[in-house]
Amino acid sequence: MDKPVDTEAAILGSAVALLREHTFEDISYLDLAEATAVSERTIYRRFPTRSHLLEALASWIEAEQFPLPQFRTPEEFREAVRARFRAYETAPGCAFVAARGAALSPTTQAPAVPITSAIFAMLDDAAPTLNGRDRQRIAAAARYFASPMFWARMRTGFDMSADETLEAFDRAMLPILAPARKTSWAA
Amino acid sequence: MPEADLAPELSSTQTAILTAYSELIEEVGTDDVSFRLIAVRAGVGERTIFRYYPARVDLLLATSAWIERTIFTRQESESIFDVPLAIREAMEAYDRRPELAHVVAETALRGVNGAEPAPRRDRFDTMVRGEVPALAEHERRLLVAALCHLDSAATWVTMRRELGMAGRDIADAAMWAAEAQLDPIRDRAAG
Repeated sequence: MDKPVDTEAAILGSAVALLREHTFEDISYLDLAEATAVSERTIYRRFPTRSHLLEALASWIEAEQFPLPQFRTPEEFREAVRARFRAYETAPGCAFVAARGAALSPTTQAPAVPITSAIFAMLDDAAPTLNGRDRQRIAAAARYFASPMFWARMRTGFDMSADETLEAFDRAMLPILAPARKTSWAA
Repeated sequence: MPEADLAPELSSTQTAILTAYSELIEEVGTDDVSFRLIAVRAGVGERTIFRYYPARVDLLLATSAWIERTIFTRQESESIFDVPLAIREAMEAYDRRPELAHVVAETALRGVNGAEPAPRRDRFDTMVRGEVPALAEHERRLLVAALCHLDSAATWVTMRRELGMAGRDIADAAMWAAEAQLDPIRDRAAG
């Protein structure tokens, strides 16, 4: 581990491996240090608090574990969301961390997540004359229902599977996309 | 008071501890607050805190629930068609206390070991069943699920963080999205 490999990525990779068996709360900095073969001090230097760790871990998981399929149309958006919900279900420990990390008070200025700009691009393409207020409302709602937060709430609060969660997503999106919809949604 | 009947009885010592911790969260965040600091602020011994809340996570979840009950209180909706208005008011409340909104949002997304992710699920379900009895159970479940998702601090956090929206735009968008959920049942209410 002396090579100048990305220590941060190595630490986050160990955390992801530990998340298969443990919750985030159960993973100590000592566990992480041992799994990564670095000192506990190194972990503290990279992640001064557990919030820092959770936030970095969540963005890493989103990018590495659940990469977002490209989409340009509402139909492709729906397929991308379906693929994500199914992926969350196969790695729930990671998906809960992704949901929680997205809820934290940000410690760093995170770069814009690609899904948000992709949703705006999709809307601009599907409804180029849509007024600005509805454009923002629709994008905000679509972004929020497509998030790991929705999957997490449906799983814990409603005991829904990934496919049921997609059904709830469809039901929520139908009236939200109505002002921007020319083609049918989830026909 | 909404949800008050579900609230556990808290001793004045517990209330002092939860108040102290929520104040310190707003001042320095959740992580950098030691039990010692909370004890000093609450005017109790550190051992007293451990007696009520053996681990930090116990204290955090209790504080989160307390914040939802006492700071982000919603006016009780008489009708499911009033819920969008309550959601709008909730968003305005989250916008006034952003640090606390983040705590409440995060603890509700922890899974079975976290805070209740849909605290008004049963209330919404009862209202829809009473007001729109013709709605099939499955449809009702999906509607209640969408409203519960919108009626949460995570809505405010996402629209703030991911879209950079201002408080009034978030309140508007959350209310609008909730109204949209009700569109399919607007004219199906029982007379």
